[in-house]
Amino acid sequence: MKAQKNRLGVLGSFKLMGANLRDNPERVAFLMHRITGIILVGFIFAHIISTNSLARNGWEHWMAVEVEHLRTLNPISLAFFIAMGAAVFHGLNGIRLLLVEALALWIGRPEKPKPPYVAPSLKGFQRRAIYAVFALWLIIWAAIGYVMFLW
Amino acid sequence: MPVDLKAVTRRPPETVKIWVRRFHPEKGATWWQSYEVKTHRGMTVLDALLKIKAETDHTLVFRYSCRMGVCGSCGLVVNGEPRLSCQTQIAEKATQEKPEIRLEPLYNFPVLRDLLTDFSEFFEKHRKVRPYLIRLDKEERENPKLEYEQRPEELEEYYEYTLCISCGLCAAACPVYASNPKFLGPHALAQAYRYLADSRDEGWRLRLEELDEDGSAYRCHFAASCSYVCPKVVDPAGAIQRLRRALLTYKFRLFRKRTAKPVEPMKEAKPTVPLPPEAEPIEGVDLSALEREEALIPKQKLLED
Ligand code: SF4
Ligand code: FES
Repeated sequence: MKAQKNRLGVLGSFKLMGANLRDNPERVAFLMHRITGIILVGFIFAHIISTNSLARNGWEHWMAVEVEHLRTLNPISLAFFIAMGAAVFHGLNGIRLLLVEALALWIGRPEKPKPPYVAPSLKGFQRRAIYAVFALWLIIWAAIGYVMFLW
Repeated sequence: MPVDLKAVTRRPPETVKIWVRRFHPEKGATWWQSYEVKTHRGMTVLDALLKIKAETDHTLVFRYSCRMGVCGSCGLVVNGEPRLSCQTQIAEKATQEKPEIRLEPLYNFPVLRDLLTDFSEFFEKHRKVRPYLIRLDKEERENPKLEYEQRPEELEEYYEYTLCISCGLCAAACPVYASNPKFLGPHALAQAYRYLADSRDEGWRLRLEELDEDGSAYRCHFAASCSYVCPKVVDPAGAIQRLRRALLTYKFRLFRKRTAKPVEPMKEAKPTVPLPPEAEPIEGVDLSALEREEALIPKQKLLED
């Protein structure tokens, strides 16, 4: 008779456990932090490879190719655009997490449970900070898109 | 737990299809099985399981005890969300358009059979954080005479965390607990903080040293799913952040804590506090006569029994 292992492993990060943007955006932000982190790791490798191979022909040449690639819509510029969005989200959310995790700021005070039974840390200022992070991220990302493709 | 409080007033669909992820340990087989259940208003998931067990399939295994959200033994995953089955209305999870509910055993716990999970690791981790008051004075610990004095504000600091019923939902929801078997888990860390924050506890140096060495508190990423799914609003996520701040201040040698002493024994009986002048007795009631009246059960009888 053997018990069945039921640990979700890394997959557990990608399940939302009933979370949604209204009741538990922390989990959504966590998931996006993971995904943007993975994108950034990929971006760093791609960046090293691209600068390395192009820079051999000189800095001027590299800049010219870069500008030509990034100002028009193509797979490379789209990937760059996504990586920039990932970087902005990862950075903004990282600031919020630093304040919450290292200094325990913005998570309210312990209290006796009362209706509608929402935990204090989910009601604290960090909740509004998450929405601010989402809003700022979308604005900055849109601005990057404007500068890259339309300006 | 984000309970839909109005769900109990709604009528669930006439019949609901309940899918259960089953496991047979001898055969080592896992499969999804469905049951049709006739519902009634106010039916919980646990009621439905009991009905299945009584009427359709007596081989279905699950655990429960109190049926009222007190014992914490009936945790399940309902439609992908860890829940107490006795606290989840059928009407909340099954709609007229989609009268279906999917039940799984709690994630991250070894499954013994069907919906029955093994909590030994969970409780072992709870034990690791020393969930009891530590007092340095041995004599006082072995032969306590009087209670410790504690202010209401000091009680408020940790009261929330004492409500935990060890149901394991937080561990099932936690992404770190899922991927790191060494992680103590939200429940154990919340209990660690509960005793650290208790002003009657003197073992903070030992606790902080052990927790720092273990490192679990640093693994948390504040996905806050634990606080979201917790049926008792224990807020483990908040506790872990506070624990981490305590560890940080401890490392900089700034951690301070006021520990409580046992109350002084009373020297003499204090005089009765007189009623304030604005406290009017009800008209026609003679208070002094009431005080003189014999109690319904004579005091002598109480002492004898
Ligand atoms: S903290 Fe909440 S969810 Fe976790 S074991 Fe305790 S009562 Fe259950
Ligand atoms: S049966 Fe006791 S908590 Fe559900």
